[in-house]
Amino acid sequence: MNTVDQPNEQSLVEYRVDRILEEANTDTRIVVLARQDGVLDTFPIWVGAAEGNAIKLALDTMITPRPMSHDLIKSFAEHLNITIQRVVITDVKSSTYYATVHVANKGLERTIDSRPSDAIALALRAPCPIYITQDVLKRRSTTNLDAWLAKLESKDIGAPEVQET
Amino acid sequence: MITQMHVKGLMFDPYNNAYIVVLRDEEQSDMLPIWVGKSEAGAISMSLENVTPPRPMTHDFMKSFLDAFNAKVISVVITDLSEHTYFSKIHLMYEDSEYTVDARPSDAIALALRSNAPVFANNSVITKQSSEELEQWLENLKPEDFGKLDS
Repeated sequence: MNTVDQPNEQSLVEYRVDRILEEANTDTRIVVLARQDGVLDTFPIWVGAAEGNAIKLALDTMITPRPMSHDLIKSFAEHLNITIQRVVITDVKSSTYYATVHVANKGLERTIDSRPSDAIALALRAPCPIYITQDVLKRRSTTNLDAWLAKLESKDIGAPEVQET
Repeated sequence: MITQMHVKGLMFDPYNNAYIVVLRDEEQSDMLPIWVGKSEAGAISMSLENVTPPRPMTHDFMKSFLDAFNAKVISVVITDLSEHTYFSKIHLMYEDSEYTVDARPSDAIALALRSNAPVFANNSVITKQSSEELEQWLENLKPEDFGKLDS
């Protein structure tokens, strides 16, 4: 059981998944979270291709013929009557984000350590809110991020690279 | 009737650009090859090789999710084969009740390996000697072909 210091509820800011970007020529996806309280802000998280796809399937409300890994976790929750309450991005260390998934059953609350990608993939399926702590928002690296994202978005994301002639 | 199967290894199938999880019974007489995707193969490979990643991978998280409420994986059963797709069930014990949850074999096996739970197959789905061609192909494979993934 991994317990993380319970973040003060006041310090949590709600985000939702805005979109998934593909990085051409890499096995990486960028999950872009958008702030929900009126403040204009996006929060990108780099994830692997499989993790990005797991999030994209839920974002696009795609139904797969067989349950994918996070559908299975949701199915466990349903069978065992576990409520997935919220997921929180709690920490960042050496450019790696840390998350916790808050679950409850019969008044018993538990916090499970997870990668943000698993937490977000599950949050979209639960569904439950996604929060980022003020602490993480303060400590994230913002250098050139907006400019970098703007450059990415100006390209046709997801389309195969066009050969320049 | 069900037979206990052991996860013997993973192979890359260059023809289908996929991975094969090879299950065999105790006597090594029956074999069940299950084709899985790359990330699913990675999840199984990490368990087989006892690799502990710095952060919990999806099936480690899945295990933590069940551990959080003391739910135990009792067993996994490969139940059916229909139109080239294997089906499986995960049997859970939680507060004196048993639950059966539908899953893809790749998820079920990745979770079973992390839970030290046995894997069974319905005898109806076990590939008998009808798959001689595949058997032969498997026997010709070198040990190096097993177990390693390039990522």
